[in-house]
Amino acid sequence: MSCIATSPIDCKEGNDIVTVRVLKNTLLGKVNKLTPSSTVELFLNSLRQDKMNLTKNKNLSGDIVDAHELTKMFGEEAAVNSLTMKVPRGTIFGFIGPSGCGKTTTVRLLTGIHKPTSGEVTVLGKHPIEFSKSDREKIGYLIQNFVLYPELTVWENLNFAASFYGVGLLSRHGRLNKLLEFVELTEDKRKLAGALSGGMKRRLSLAATLVHNPELLFLDEPTAGIDPLLRRKFWDYFKDLQAQGHSLFITTQYVGEAAYCDLVGVMYEGKLLMVESPEGLRRKAYGGDIVGIKTTEWIRYENRKKLEDLPFVNGKIKVINDQEIEIFVDEANTAMPALMEATKAQRINVEKIEQVSPPFDDVFVKLIEKETANA
Amino acid sequence: MLKFLIRISSFMSKELTEILRQPKLILTLVFGPFLIMFLFGLGYPDQNRTLRTTFVVEDPNSVQGDLKLFTGSIPAIANQDVENNKELALAKLALNQTDLVILIPKDPFGTVQNNQQAKFTVYHNEVDPFQIAYINSVARIYTDEVNRRILQNVTEQGQANAGSVQGDLENAIAKTQALKQAVPSGDSSMAAEVNDLEKDLTNVHEQLTTFRSLGSDVLVNPFTVDTTPLSNIQFTPTDFFAPAVIVLLLQHLSITFASLSIVRERRSGIMELFRVAPITALETLIGKFLSYLSFEILLAGVITVLAVWLLKVPMFGLWANYAIAVVILLFTSLGVGFLISLISETDTQAVQYSMLLLLASIFFSGFFLDLRLMWQPIKVLAWSLPATYGIRMLQDVMLRGTSIPPLIVEGLALIGIGLFLLNWILLRRKMEAQYS
Repeated sequence: MSCIATSPIDCKEGNDIVTVRVLKNTLLGKVNKLTPSSTVELFLNSLRQDKMNLTKNKNLSGDIVDAHELTKMFGEEAAVNSLTMKVPRGTIFGFIGPSGCGKTTTVRLLTGIHKPTSGEVTVLGKHPIEFSKSDREKIGYLIQNFVLYPELTVWENLNFAASFYGVGLLSRHGRLNKLLEFVELTEDKRKLAGALSGGMKRRLSLAATLVHNPELLFLDEPTAGIDPLLRRKFWDYFKDLQAQGHSLFITTQYVGEAAYCDLVGVMYEGKLLMVESPEGLRRKAYGGDIVGIKTTEWIRYENRKKLEDLPFVNGKIKVINDQEIEIFVDEANTAMPALMEATKAQRINVEKIEQVSPPFDDVFVKLIEKETANA
Repeated sequence: MLKFLIRISSFMSKELTEILRQPKLILTLVFGPFLIMFLFGLGYPDQNRTLRTTFVVEDPNSVQGDLKLFTGSIPAIANQDVENNKELALAKLALNQTDLVILIPKDPFGTVQNNQQAKFTVYHNEVDPFQIAYINSVARIYTDEVNRRILQNVTEQGQANAGSVQGDLENAIAKTQALKQAVPSGDSSMAAEVNDLEKDLTNVHEQLTTFRSLGSDVLVNPFTVDTTPLSNIQFTPTDFFAPAVIVLLLQHLSITFASLSIVRERRSGIMELFRVAPITALETLIGKFLSYLSFEILLAGVITVLAVWLLKVPMFGLWANYAIAVVILLFTSLGVGFLISLISETDTQAVQYSMLLLLASIFFSGFFLDLRLMWQPIKVLAWSLPATYGIRMLQDVMLRGTSIPPLIVEGLALIGIGLFLLNWILLRRKMEAQYS
């Protein structure tokens, strides 16, 4: 690690950024948490022992998932086509792409449900097809749909999950109570699962995935079909789990959720287009950073032309309105002081200058457009 | 080992909780069969069907005279009416206003005197082969009874005639004795002939005495029959069918529970979770077997208690034998159910298979048709059904009071073990990683 990071763009290389972010999460705890809650605090405290258990016997460095040229064919159709990626331990790895692009198939390949047609893959250092029982105990898997039993209560469903993961009877009661607190279902533990709302069912499913304190979590579209507030809460849960030392592999078709991940894999039509940090994705989409400038008066054409001629500015300036422009630059941190100088020289009265983060929806569309154009 | 037991317990607890969460289902399972057996007992008392019979004779008045109908001693025939119009009688039969029409032959005595058999023609309107067989049997009994009565009358007349013949014989014997006195003492050959004649006449007289001393019914029916079961107990239809009903019910419950169990999980998608989790097919299967087995043993116990103590269904055998038979029956039936569950794609398909098996069990297990009547190759199908073994075992234990034939119990257990292994292989295939 070559630098101390204060923001994601301090380091350039993807894995370094991830490592820095993990360190930041670990050191700063819940500083960056979006909606901290007392129940989460309780959970974090009570799971301190779990975290120690989780981390004491493993190497914290290295890749928890390593796939090379992984391919899965269904007949003539390639559901996953030559997928190569590495997921560093302790990260939240987002797997983003439209519906039907091969995300779930990839998860199934990584969990050992599907046998790859070709290519190599190791998860937790082993080929998933060769997972032993103890390997499987280290994995938590949240399926897209609610698959638990509607005729059983919340508690009974969790108890069932704990049993089939082999969680001991002595520790189970406390563990389940902690999980219910974590997913905020304590008050509902006697309710039948079939009577829960969609969001509560997803929370119950998440709790069932966590009953055995797995090292690696595969969460297949955990936020699909739930409201934005709950989605936000889920990502809080995921951040907390990461802070506990879990590695998370999360698929989603909500492109905006890429912002919560340490690394993002962009999947499209069975192909993994790229693996980048969220900022890296933005940079790839727009060929660099975007700096927004707001002035107190009308920016004239000649002024814009002069700014476009600056060596670190890429392409044309985007005009938002008479007093607002967006400039594409190589590096926002170094470009912003130079832009300030340039505007000052042109007697442009700048009200605000800042790095602009376009929504990930736009980033994703841009990336797909680029990819299809290249193809 | 501890984790193995914990994983098995997951399914035991889950399945039992799901069942116990449905109290109405449990009540139905316990009281449903009991109610069926109770109503069956009420509905089929130990009586044969009495057939409303219309006789068709040329001259109805003659029935009161020379021609008697002799229906009084046959409980199966109720003399409903005597008609002289055959078409009218058959119309009544078609309208179900009468059960039988018996056509009395024209001039039966004249026909017999002409050395020909007089024939009754019996009409019925049944479609059920069992009822047709019953009517054939009743018709035979009726004809036998008529023949017997006629023979009895003839015999009685013969006995009466023999009385006058005997008087003549006594005179002849007296005359022979007088003749014997008259034979000259030197004529030894004549004396011998008279002696022989006297002996013959005396012999015929004695035979006639014997003939006259015997009752006409003994002469006509010298043999009768008395059938006695080994247990010396006359079983009611409820007694006979109760073990078979218990078997069919337990088999059907096991198959239905098990057949829906795995197919639902496959449909819900949780099987995908099991594939990733450390639980194995063997643990899953053992857990499910144990949960259903324990619940159904309890259920079988309650149903049996109700049948034996409330319905008074006989139980002559040992309870230990009964328990062995029930446990093996349930184990094998669960195996059939899980097999259905593993080969079915949907709930509906599983239910259909279960219903087909129930139907097959009713027809081929000896539930109401004796297996000995079955064509040999079809017996293979019959003996592939757990119910066939179950009915045989429970009838032996409950009604005959014998132990279970080893071949039957071993055969059923072998099928059960085979099914368990097959289910294990199939479930493992579905749960294992290498599926396309």
